[in-house]
Amino acid sequence: MSYERRGHGGGNRRRYRDDYDDRRREVQESPEERIRNVIIKFGEVDAVEEIPRLEKQIREHEPLNVSNLSEAFRIGVTEQPYKIPYYATLLRVLYERPEGDTTEGAPLGRLILEDFWKGFQAYLDKLAWRETRLCIHFFAHLTTAKLISADSMTALLQSFTAVLDEFGVSHGRAKRAALCAGEGLIIGGPTLKSHSSASADEIIAAIQAYNDTTATQQWLVSPTTKMSSTTVSNENAHELLDTLLSALSTLNENDFADTDNCFPRPYVNFVDLEVEAYNLPSVLVPPEIIELDSLSPDSGEDTQVKKEEWPEFYLRLFPNDISPDPSSPAGYIVRTALLDIIEIFEVNRKECARLLLEYPKWNLPGTFKPKPGATVELEPVAGKDWQLESTIFETVLGAYFLLPEAQQKSIYYIGLITELCKLSPSTVGPAVGKSIRKLYGSLSEGLDVEVARRFAEWFAVHMSNFGFQWVWKEWVPDLALTVQHPRRAFMRRAIEFEIRLSYHDRILKTLPEPMQTPEAYTIAEQAPGPAFEYDDPSKPHHDAAQSILNLFRGRAKAEDVVTHLDTLRSTLESSEDVGLNVDATVRSITVQSLLNIGSRSFSHLLNAIERYLPLLRHLASGGVSSTGGNGIPEAKADILTAAAAFWKYNRQMVGIVFDKLMQYQIVDPTDVVGWTFLNGAVIGQLSELAGPMNLSAFEWDLLKGALDKANGRVMIARRKVTVLRKEDDDNRARVKASENESMEVDTDAKQEATVDSPALTTALKAFSSLTREQKAALSRTLEGFISSLAPSASDANPNPHTRTVIADGAWENRDTWGRDEWNAWETWGWYRQFCRVYSPYLRTYSTTLYTVSFSRFDGASNPAAELLKKIWNIAIGQEA
Amino acid sequence: MAHVVTPLDQPSNYKDSQTRVDRQKQNELLSKSTTLYVGNLSFYTTEEQIYELFTKCASPDDGGGIKRIIMGLDRNTRTPCGFCFVEYYTHTEALASMRYVSGTKLDERIIRCDLDLGYKEGRQFGRGKSGGQVRDEHRQDYDPGRGGWGAQAQRLEIERRREVEERYADAQDGPGAVAGGGGDWKEAETAAPESKLKRERSPDDEGDNTRLGQRARIDEDLEGERM
Repeated sequence: MSYERRGHGGGNRRRYRDDYDDRRREVQESPEERIRNVIIKFGEVDAVEEIPRLEKQIREHEPLNVSNLSEAFRIGVTEQPYKIPYYATLLRVLYERPEGDTTEGAPLGRLILEDFWKGFQAYLDKLAWRETRLCIHFFAHLTTAKLISADSMTALLQSFTAVLDEFGVSHGRAKRAALCAGEGLIIGGPTLKSHSSASADEIIAAIQAYNDTTATQQWLVSPTTKMSSTTVSNENAHELLDTLLSALSTLNENDFADTDNCFPRPYVNFVDLEVEAYNLPSVLVPPEIIELDSLSPDSGEDTQVKKEEWPEFYLRLFPNDISPDPSSPAGYIVRTALLDIIEIFEVNRKECARLLLEYPKWNLPGTFKPKPGATVELEPVAGKDWQLESTIFETVLGAYFLLPEAQQKSIYYIGLITELCKLSPSTVGPAVGKSIRKLYGSLSEGLDVEVARRFAEWFAVHMSNFGFQWVWKEWVPDLALTVQHPRRAFMRRAIEFEIRLSYHDRILKTLPEPMQTPEAYTIAEQAPGPAFEYDDPSKPHHDAAQSILNLFRGRAKAEDVVTHLDTLRSTLESSEDVGLNVDATVRSITVQSLLNIGSRSFSHLLNAIERYLPLLRHLASGGVSSTGGNGIPEAKADILTAAAAFWKYNRQMVGIVFDKLMQYQIVDPTDVVGWTFLNGAVIGQLSELAGPMNLSAFEWDLLKGALDKANGRVMIARRKVTVLRKEDDDNRARVKASENESMEVDTDAKQEATVDSPALTTALKAFSSLTREQKAALSRTLEGFISSLAPSASDANPNPHTRTVIADGAWENRDTWGRDEWNAWETWGWYRQFCRVYSPYLRTYSTTLYTVSFSRFDGASNPAAELLKKIWNIAIGQEA
Repeated sequence: MAHVVTPLDQPSNYKDSQTRVDRQKQNELLSKSTTLYVGNLSFYTTEEQIYELFTKCASPDDGGGIKRIIMGLDRNTRTPCGFCFVEYYTHTEALASMRYVSGTKLDERIIRCDLDLGYKEGRQFGRGKSGGQVRDEHRQDYDPGRGGWGAQAQRLEIERRREVEERYADAQDGPGAVAGGGGDWKEAETAAPESKLKRERSPDDEGDNTRLGQRARIDEDLEGERM
């Protein structure tokens, strides 16, 4: 039924649309669709048992349509990789001649295989890597089943290792090519190795040689870091290509005899066929589309920012007897199979959860512990007998914690875990608790700050789905740790996120008493309400604020408020308050009053801002109406300060207000970045946490909001340019065509052909303004980090520990660290994240940014500057 | 993928029963929709709670984000009545919510999301006889989160109820009652207009000056189509 959903092949689209109202209605299947669906659904009960019946069904289906059958195989292989060994077996069976069949020509299986190849070639041509890799799995099985010649299979794998030698190959391309070659070798190993031992060694050596070049990149994305040392510890995390290589080497040592122990090979005992093995045609992995000037501010041609690819570290949460070691052959197979399910079934998290829990049936018996209450008694296999739920959790969380970014949005992995828990609460529940405790423990072992932030996010959303039931009591002893210790920062952050999804009293109730007290600095003292500074009649400017509030309440026109502000300004100027910054005070009173009007809800905020946009623009321009639309930095900083002060008890609202002020173009992303580095740390923090300049996850979220806004705008503008340019080109082509038809050449029309349309000119202009803003925001961020981490004597409120925490041996003494040391450590962590996650953007402007920010350190010996530069260089690809 | 399981982001049988748009047009709008209808909310759930959850499906680096949230209100009492619209800047974000958020809990209730044709005036109000949603008109069960409160209701709920009752007392209807949330980035308005080309323009040409007006017109047309 679901087969037609996406209008596959085009013909189904119309029918699907008509049916959308009533999805549950049986869709009429054509005979072709029916046979395809039977093949796709093959194996749901017992693959081996089902084969004879399915074989018969396929053979009896008339008329014979090979491409229809091979398409079903392609869908089966690329969308249900756990079934690949059984599809290989099915194809092997289709090679047999049924009794009494005396027809000449190639057997059906062979016809399907040849057609299947065409589909593989199409995947490869468009560099659909996952599909390509899974087809290679299928071919590797078929090689062992002797349907494909070992020679041609080896050549296929070699065309992928050839990619590794390409000059300047991107890590993403190399990684995927290596996986294709390496996994093909793992599966086809027994046959390939006995065919040519040297070729197998060469393939492994090629992957090894490439992997050896990725050491510094590995350091930047390793999920645990000491900051002071560049060694990467593999204790708690495994890098993908590392695990591939170690699995390969282990297997290679005894000529791949152990593959028997890794995955099912139902075809292996079939008698030899008297047919010639298929020789896979030779292929060349097509080059990546060359993206000339892909991000050049002047061209605006391309619509995609290519995400930088990094080595992939998967966190390890459990010992080898609980979940498989991914660097062992059997463990690698399990890990890869689960990761593929997680990626492929992203469109339906509920089905994905079900398939993950059903995975054991596709692997060898005894791989996982039997389900509680299982009727079939199985001898546990030595070295296996793993816990399914723990293994799934380790894999899902490993994918979720990939640095700098996961493949999918955080909420996908979180939702997937929720579904797992709903499907099997009694078995999955304990795995949640174990995972949380393990992660919490690793917070003090150098867990990356971004991983820690995602951990808090998962924790809060998960608890929100399960009644906020966490046994906080067990972490009470950690209240003795220093206030910025990562564990305490985690508790605070997780609780803050929980409150955002729920409400203060509800969460307070879930905490044990020692955590509820203000001295514990764990939960905010009060519910996150507004803090209108001028509310209290005894406070200065109370009356001034009241009169403005009344104007807002009476829906006075913006220009009338502006007039009133002029009066207020002169009153303040003539007051006796010496040293009063009149402009800043007026801005603060006005913005806070406006936010007060809009404080009831997000919608109220939008209404207030929208109604008084001219007023806000007036304020941002410093009260000088002729100052263009972009305002003056000081005025905009004052607006942000007022907003942050108003919402100091509700940091979620600070982020929301900043976002909308950018959206309505009252402030620019650069203003938010600048403001965050100067003021972020003192706003909305428990007073105990304020200290020298530093960046915590909250400030990072503000920075990220601003940078994403700047980058997103460039993206929109670039798309617009692309569309308009295409229109222009089409028009030109049309003019040219008509010229050629009627030989009369209109000189005007000719001129038009060389000039961009006004719409395109406008779009290009917007694009260049926005790229300038993007560059400014990135540059300001880099500057901010440098003045925080390698402060010069003149910088305000420097943290002296930015240098000490990176010194040799400092990490080993972290038990003695206090608030400022941990702050410095976290700030370093966010700098790493900034460089690696924004590296595609930073690369575009790397020369200018380097000159502006780093050249001042040239020649000076400054360990902080050295580390800043080192991280920068790795991120922009200047250091191998 | 699509061949083996049904994606969760397909439109369901949810529809705006009062829409006057024909089926084909509806499908077209849904295939580009940036708006979600969110149902089965607790009456106490705030826009900020909704924002916190739905912002996890946003793609700001792709030009997205939450544009606005429109809380569904009881027609008579102007209090939340258990549904809302969440409008993003991009269609992809709406689809992500369908995949990842629909069917999970917010404020301890399982919420449901559906792609929506787009908010239009008046839709923020409940359509039930007594002002709330139709479903609460005929509901038999006791649901403390949806108005089924009373003596047995928890103290906390009563406290939250007080806040909630006051929050939207000022809600308006009619045009302009609901904020837009902020549009695409525009060149600052004071920017000097481009110097005109020498050549006489054809009617199709648009200069900088008319461009914004043109955009606004397009937006209005779209609104009109949704009616």
